[in-house]
Amino acid sequence: MTDKRVREKTLIQKIAENKRVQSASTFVLPVLFGILLFILWEAGALHVLLNTDTFTLPLPDRIFTIMSDNRDKILSNVGATIAVALIGLLAGSIIGYGIAVFAALFKTWGAAGLSIVAAFNAVPIVALAPVMTNLSKDISDDANTRSMVAKILVVTIVTIANMSFNAFRGLTELKPFAEDLMSSYAANRGVTLWKLRVPNSIPYIFIALRVAVPSSVISALVSEYFAEYIIGVGRQIRENIVLAQYSSAWAYIVTACLIGITMYVILMLIEGIVLKRRVNA
Amino acid sequence: MMNRIWGKTRTILPLLLWILLFVAVWEVGALLVEASKRTPENVLPHIYQIIEAALNPKKVSSGESASQLVLSSAGLTLGRAALGFLVGTICGFVLALIMKISKIVEKVIFPYLMIIQMIPILGMAPIILSITGDINTSRIVIAAILTFYPVATGTLAGFNSVEKSKYDLMHIYAARKIDLYTKVLIPTAIPYIFTGLKIAAPMAITASILVDTLQGDKGLGTLLSQSLKHAMSIYVFWLIVFFSAFVGILSSKLMGNLERIVLPHKRIRVSRAKEESI
Repeated sequence: MTDKRVREKTLIQKIAENKRVQSASTFVLPVLFGILLFILWEAGALHVLLNTDTFTLPLPDRIFTIMSDNRDKILSNVGATIAVALIGLLAGSIIGYGIAVFAALFKTWGAAGLSIVAAFNAVPIVALAPVMTNLSKDISDDANTRSMVAKILVVTIVTIANMSFNAFRGLTELKPFAEDLMSSYAANRGVTLWKLRVPNSIPYIFIALRVAVPSSVISALVSEYFAEYIIGVGRQIRENIVLAQYSSAWAYIVTACLIGITMYVILMLIEGIVLKRRVNA
Repeated sequence: MMNRIWGKTRTILPLLLWILLFVAVWEVGALLVEASKRTPENVLPHIYQIIEAALNPKKVSSGESASQLVLSSAGLTLGRAALGFLVGTICGFVLALIMKISKIVEKVIFPYLMIIQMIPILGMAPIILSITGDINTSRIVIAAILTFYPVATGTLAGFNSVEKSKYDLMHIYAARKIDLYTKVLIPTAIPYIFTGLKIAAPMAITASILVDTLQGDKGLGTLLSQSLKHAMSIYVFWLIVFFSAFVGILSSKLMGNLERIVLPHKRIRVSRAKEESI
């Protein structure tokens, strides 16, 4: 605080401006809010608020009991969903980055190519998923394998657009004069790409992944709806709802949230390690 | 003048070639499918067949041709998507504003905002249907939730991007708090809000279509699942695929145009930059 006030600060103000209190409150306040929410849910106050019953929105302890009772079944579905999300994410990121490199090297052609990719991004997943299921019918005699391919294709397409856009920005939005410096070294396109553009694009890759990781999980869940073979967390949510087993459906919803959160946390950890080393180098 | 025309063709030409390439790949695929399948239209029909189906006046269902059917259902679905989109935008903006005004609210809510993004709202559609009890309400709610997140985070990022010097200037002017918000913070945040809106618009449409598939009401999603189950011509399905892709792209573009109307100074800067490049 730079402004010097004549009036003495009150105790509450002093506490509020204390650094340690501030950093502690970043953790404590959300946790308190979470506990409050949990108590409201368990006590049934949420049900009154949303005007629903424990059949549609079961109590948390019931959901956790079901999760622990059906652990093996849930885990096998989690495996299927994560495999789809991760393989699709990887394939989409690599292809998307490839497109970005192409676009950065051949600007006129590349920029137009990127707008085609953007068009694909705006195609709703619900339209994409059945098309992919149709296209992959011949790939294998095994329904599980061909459904898997269809689902991975959907996640791949969703990831490509996101990655290629951000990577393109990373490859082209360079520091001022960096490109001039490279040309004064008589560096050719390849060297400029490898030594300047690619390192510059790394933070942008993480910006892309921050959006792509949650959206890969969600597109995996939605594509399972339209897949031929019945497996995956998303499909189980739907199957259980069709059978009016809402508690089991909630168990899978909580599982789906946990998958998303876990993958996001892992991404944050990797980002922390990779970007920290960059600063030190 | 000549220069300007040349500049335009230079940007449009590659785009056209890419579209041609896409059509070519599609057609080669369609030819291969045609040679190997008994019912190629289920897997990958020719593009001209889809266009033919769109123009065909033959009645497909309840006295409507394929195009009429798609358009009338689309009106219903898109109307709901738009309403949800509007509700979500307002909620997202108001929440970001409250978070900016009160540091405590920001600290309490922000981590949950991240978690909301992880909840498979689209997967939860049936649950929301059973909570609201009404398919139309749940459609609007889901579209609103999906819109809400990008708008709220975008707006907050916009508020936080205001430099300290601007706060200092307003302090020197002895500006009231409300003036600080209406004259500095909100105008600065507008481009960020539009970035959120551009992401959210296709998502709201996806949500609306997906909720349609849950219940045999009228709407694009209902039509899509009926057509997939061969209750009517499969070409209706292909029409919906193209239509929804088209509308998704259009919705994003629409937000871009709206941004240019709302922010004329940005428009001038962009057009000047374009002229300089030509």
